[in-house]
Amino acid sequence: MDYDVLVLGSGIGGMESSIKLADMGYQVLLVEKEASVGGRMILLSKVFPTLDCASCISGPKMSTTINHPNIKTLAYSEIDHISRNTHGGFQVTVREKAKFVDWAACTGCDVCQKECTVAVPDQFNAELAPRRAAYIAFPQAVPKKAILDRSGTSPCIAACPAGIKAHGYVSLTRTGKYEEAFQLNLDATPLVGTLGRACYAPCENGCTRSQVEGTLPIRMIKRYVADEHYATHEGPGVEVSPPTGKSVAVVGSGPAGLTAAWQLARQGHRVTIHEAQASPGGYARHGIPSFRLPKDVVEADIANLTAIGVEIICNSPVADLQALKDSGYDAVVIATGAHREAALDAAGVDAAGVVSGLSYLKDSAAEVGPDLTGKRVVVVGGDVVAMNAARTALRQGATSATVVAEAGKPGALPCNEIEYTEAAAEGVEFVFSTSVAELRTAASGEVTAVRCVPFSAPSTSADASEDAEAGETVQAAAAPATASTAASELVADLVITCLGLDVDESLFVELAGVGNKSRILANRRSLQTKAKWLFAAGDVASGLSTITRAVGSGRRAAHMVDRFLKGESLDGFELDSKLSTTKHRDVLARHSSITHRDPVTGQVRLNQQPRDFAEIEAGLTEEEARSGAGSCLDCGICSECQECAKQCPAFAIDMTQRDKVSEVEVGAVVVSTGHKLFAADLKPEYGFGKFPNVITAMQMDRLLAPTRPFNTVLRPGDGKVPDRIAYISCTGSRDKTVGNPLCSKFCCMYSIKQNQLIMGALPLADVTMHYMDMRAAGKRYEEFYTQARDMGAQYIKGRVAKITEEENGDLLVRYEDIENGGGIVEASYDLVVLAVGIQPNRDVENLFTDAPLGLDEYYYVAEPSAELSPGQTNIPGVFVAGTAAGAKDIVDTILHAGAAVAQVAAHLEHQHFAEQEALV
Amino acid sequence: MNQTLRDPREVMREEMLMHAPILAAVAEEPLTIPQIAERIGHPAPEVVYWVMGMRRYGFLSESGDADDDGFFAYAATGRQV
Repeated sequence: MDYDVLVLGSGIGGMESSIKLADMGYQVLLVEKEASVGGRMILLSKVFPTLDCASCISGPKMSTTINHPNIKTLAYSEIDHISRNTHGGFQVTVREKAKFVDWAACTGCDVCQKECTVAVPDQFNAELAPRRAAYIAFPQAVPKKAILDRSGTSPCIAACPAGIKAHGYVSLTRTGKYEEAFQLNLDATPLVGTLGRACYAPCENGCTRSQVEGTLPIRMIKRYVADEHYATHEGPGVEVSPPTGKSVAVVGSGPAGLTAAWQLARQGHRVTIHEAQASPGGYARHGIPSFRLPKDVVEADIANLTAIGVEIICNSPVADLQALKDSGYDAVVIATGAHREAALDAAGVDAAGVVSGLSYLKDSAAEVGPDLTGKRVVVVGGDVVAMNAARTALRQGATSATVVAEAGKPGALPCNEIEYTEAAAEGVEFVFSTSVAELRTAASGEVTAVRCVPFSAPSTSADASEDAEAGETVQAAAAPATASTAASELVADLVITCLGLDVDESLFVELAGVGNKSRILANRRSLQTKAKWLFAAGDVASGLSTITRAVGSGRRAAHMVDRFLKGESLDGFELDSKLSTTKHRDVLARHSSITHRDPVTGQVRLNQQPRDFAEIEAGLTEEEARSGAGSCLDCGICSECQECAKQCPAFAIDMTQRDKVSEVEVGAVVVSTGHKLFAADLKPEYGFGKFPNVITAMQMDRLLAPTRPFNTVLRPGDGKVPDRIAYISCTGSRDKTVGNPLCSKFCCMYSIKQNQLIMGALPLADVTMHYMDMRAAGKRYEEFYTQARDMGAQYIKGRVAKITEEENGDLLVRYEDIENGGGIVEASYDLVVLAVGIQPNRDVENLFTDAPLGLDEYYYVAEPSAELSPGQTNIPGVFVAGTAAGAKDIVDTILHAGAAVAQVAAHLEHQHFAEQEALV
Repeated sequence: MNQTLRDPREVMREEMLMHAPILAAVAEEPLTIPQIAERIGHPAPEVVYWVMGMRRYGFLSESGDADDDGFFAYAATGRQV
């Protein structure tokens, strides 16, 4: 037996039960679902009829509970299920929910919540005001520790292969923390400006807003913060770890190599990049034309590396990796990409005027490309290189640029849809379902035409033949895709072949071996090759991919190299600690409604026959960036912006925490899970949720409490100090129309308590209570009621029929004035407080897996012989304390807990004697 | 008021977005919530959520007592976003 008793819930009933049992010497496990013990009572202003401070009564009990040597308290924990064990006790599965904060280190200083960039309704303030996703439950919380509210990994983060925390930089941007947003991107890669333009934005495909009216412009927000940084800052502004004394060579300076180098340099390693070309950047510089990705953006991104000491040696082709390693490096990262271009298998390919796509784009990027004024260009192939080449040709003066593709329709092209759409819009022409049979040449040896034949698709491909029509040239943006069925000829002054890219294995074939196709043979997780010091990153390991995937691969490789250099295992850890992805439907279900917001989109300038290389996409304005970011639904709640982690003085933030599930054995169970409050919007005639100045009594208690969410009692509609306040009793109790015929017992008294407190806090305020019957049946309760009347509170007997709102936010209450003739009367108030009743908390009923916990006809926990054995349930060994069994005020709850404790003690002692007798 | 109240979760989420316009609105003089609402063009019930969130986390504080109409004015504390 691990514990004598399990107590479920730490409200006043649970605390009282736990303390009394612990004082008797029993070992108690107290499980509380919230982050603090105390339940609802600690949130009250004062208690009736003594008007003692609720905190003053609860506080010592909370402290005793948490510090009692016989009580083990698990806050922010839940019970998964409880079953009977073979010893007459219970087997309990306890789930300690991940807090993402190391409570042993947390000092409760509240820096995290001040820095947090996500606002959510504060359940501890009855949702009158926001709290933060990083939060301490309330000022008097015991234990006073912080929690990160996480419902999962946001879909945008989960979708990013580069490991960039999109939700994080979006929430930073909406807060105006642009530099922090840029820095969060730098945590993953130095290529922020590049990805802000050239990424295909898988994050946007994951965005839950796309289920509403359209995705956030996540990529454009990244671009905004990058542009903002480069316009206002010198250098990246990042911290670099102290030198490790280790050195790493990175071969290749594309996105993977640059990212690997960046990560390694930030870890304090000395990094040298060897680049075969005359300038660094790889595909980002040489493969993406400047109208899509300006070279100064690439250069600004690359300058991030040199600013932290990365040495980039250009015109430095590596021919022997072993020799490179032996020249003084501790490890080598090969990131040479996939740049070997497939050759066209047709006569005439060696003619003058036939070039490969990458070499054409590279020359054009270096501004040594051909002058194509008046020339006709044919591009063979349909990948992104082909699209870029055709669009570049138009800008170099070509009269036409025609793409000849074997694909049967635009959607079957081996490029992103946007590449095709933009190319077509600029006037690139397309011939689908077509192969090149021959390149015709003039006597001088120059290409003159391309002879085309219909492409015969493999039988497994449906795409190629679907749209078969004729071999005519079409402008794809204006006409549906067509296909050739007969041989044809296209006049060409320049032919650019773009037939796919793969990996050149010549550099590593002997040292590391060749895996799938011509890729390097490397462990898929660690990216380590059989030469332990050699790691692979990017396309050389994965085959042709995207820039974003290459960045992710470079980041992974760097992490593995760093561990390798430190002598750490490359297994047994997660590179990105992600929770399960938050589902769109769960995010949408959190909202009663979502207001339409016009999606913010980038403006792309697409002209027919463009003649300049100016960037075609305009960046967002600051207003657009913030507005776009403001549409974020905070899917995972915490955005992972890392501001709390950066600022926490105790370094207590731990995003790797996970729920901890354990099994314990207990001898008895006390259910003290309390009650729920009636949902006031179920009485629509009272206008709660519709009129801002109609609030619940729990909200008023928060407004009256010293730790109130406002500076004083104010009405939520406009922040005005209310002069005329009405209470409506029996809201949701003694009301068969809402399924609750029961009296909640304490609503009259807490209303009277609040009446008195309001008159103390707002001496000029008039307080009126509309009641059905005044129930003041406890010790000194009637006197308390009389005292309120003497203080000036008015009490009007009669049911309120309806509340309407006036233009200024005041409320017109329509009621039957029973004591003055029964007429229908209307009265105007500044604020209306609904004295809501209670409802059973049904969270507990499915916890017991062997026999169901008995409930009464109103779904409270049943006490089969409440008169003779209060606290006993239908399950031997399971007891109930407090309002889990029905409506009780605080005094009665404490009494009931005492009764339950006595029952528990009797049960445990009986079990003990029975065991001893069995031994005898 | 006669306006449809938006989901409080949605309104509160926008607090971060509203820091800048609200701080700009109160930059020269403390303003009441109806005044802030008018300046930034948003409904007063929504401004209450934002102002109280900003007050709680140290961006705003009430300036003096309530005026004759029962409204407090709120001023920037100087804490930067």
